[in-house]
Amino acid sequence: MTAFSTDDDLLAAELAFGLIDDADRHLAEQRLVEDPAFAQAHQRWQAHAAALFADPGEAPRPSTWTAIVSRLPANDITSPRSRASLRWWQTGTVAATAAALILGAVALRAPTRIFVRVPVAEAPAAPMVAVLTGAKGLVTISFDPASGRMTSVASGLDIGHHSPELWAIPRDGKPRMMGIMNSSAPGWAKVPADARAILSAGVTIAVSVEPLGGSPSGLPTGPVILSGEMVAV
Amino acid sequence: MGSTSSDMAAASLAVMLERVAEGDRSAFEEVYRRTAVKLFGVCLRILPMRQEAEEALQEAYLLVWRKAATFDATKGSAMTWLITLTRNRAVDRLRSAGRFVAGPIELADQVPDPAPAASSKLEISQDERRVAKCIGTLAASDAELIRTAFFEGATYAELAERAAKPLGTIKSRIRRALLTLKDCLS
Repeated sequence: MTAFSTDDDLLAAELAFGLIDDADRHLAEQRLVEDPAFAQAHQRWQAHAAALFADPGEAPRPSTWTAIVSRLPANDITSPRSRASLRWWQTGTVAATAAALILGAVALRAPTRIFVRVPVAEAPAAPMVAVLTGAKGLVTISFDPASGRMTSVASGLDIGHHSPELWAIPRDGKPRMMGIMNSSAPGWAKVPADARAILSAGVTIAVSVEPLGGSPSGLPTGPVILSGEMVAV
Repeated sequence: MGSTSSDMAAASLAVMLERVAEGDRSAFEEVYRRTAVKLFGVCLRILPMRQEAEEALQEAYLLVWRKAATFDATKGSAMTWLITLTRNRAVDRLRSAGRFVAGPIELADQVPDPAPAASSKLEISQDERRVAKCIGTLAASDAELIRTAFFEGATYAELAERAAKPLGTIKSRIRRALLTLKDCLS
């Protein structure tokens, strides 16, 4: 084996970040198996890449665990160590065969007691509020996930012959239109489905200055003057 | 089969995965209990629609159940293995939905780095802090290219197209950024 070069290390990084196309990727993956130094470099880069998810995360609904359990193959109790020596793509076939062989034994097994220990509230049911602040003015938004409706109240918001438009911006940074708001009186409105789907605690809500009638493009065109974060009540 | 809760509390995630590989469902539940919050965050980062993210999370854990035997504790941390598996699953889902719109990438360097400052977060790990710090030393647009690759499953070719730049330019730019990142992290 030749000495491990910078190019080798870069290839390991490219593989870990998903930068290379299928053909090159297959070659690089083959090398993982044959070249321990390359595999080690790849592992290091994988750890760096994984650390890009710096978000602490959030609890999924309890129904997620129930759904996972219900999707587990009921008879998937193959001899585990025999699986360890297999390449992953062979695992499915062998597991299926073994599962078929031991089907009889499985029927006798008592069901495992399952209880969910991730303590989470049913997030969509909780109403949410956001207080949007900026250089000038204040807007409060409340959102009821059950009905999909929001209320908005503005004070001190004077943007002349323009419309203030509300946006929901989740982690992906892409704004979802929530609609024009009334800057002089409280307003009630149904939130569009796109925005509704991503509204949750932690999502940024922002007001941008748009031409009368709202953004023509479906994305903010004017400056963002107020913003705040949704919090569950 | 099945572990008692007291020996599970003390066991590392790597040990729990080994038990999952043996078909231990209570170990599997323990892995879920310890990692679901983080891994759901991974799914949400890639699939902001909660329903999609939950589906991806379910698929990821089903893969954990099936592939736990391929985890090798001598070759890396259990959390990295879990995050990588979940990221891959979520990106596959993002790409297979047929609704993925690969938007243009703006390479102007005055675009502010959209990632929140690492110091503003409390629950961030040492690793995450280090990587965030080093990513922060890159030009914002280079950091954005690397993030887009990883979070959206975009290859060099796609990045070049979306940034409307020659493939060679994008490649050398990212490679240079990766080397800077490497220096900073070592």
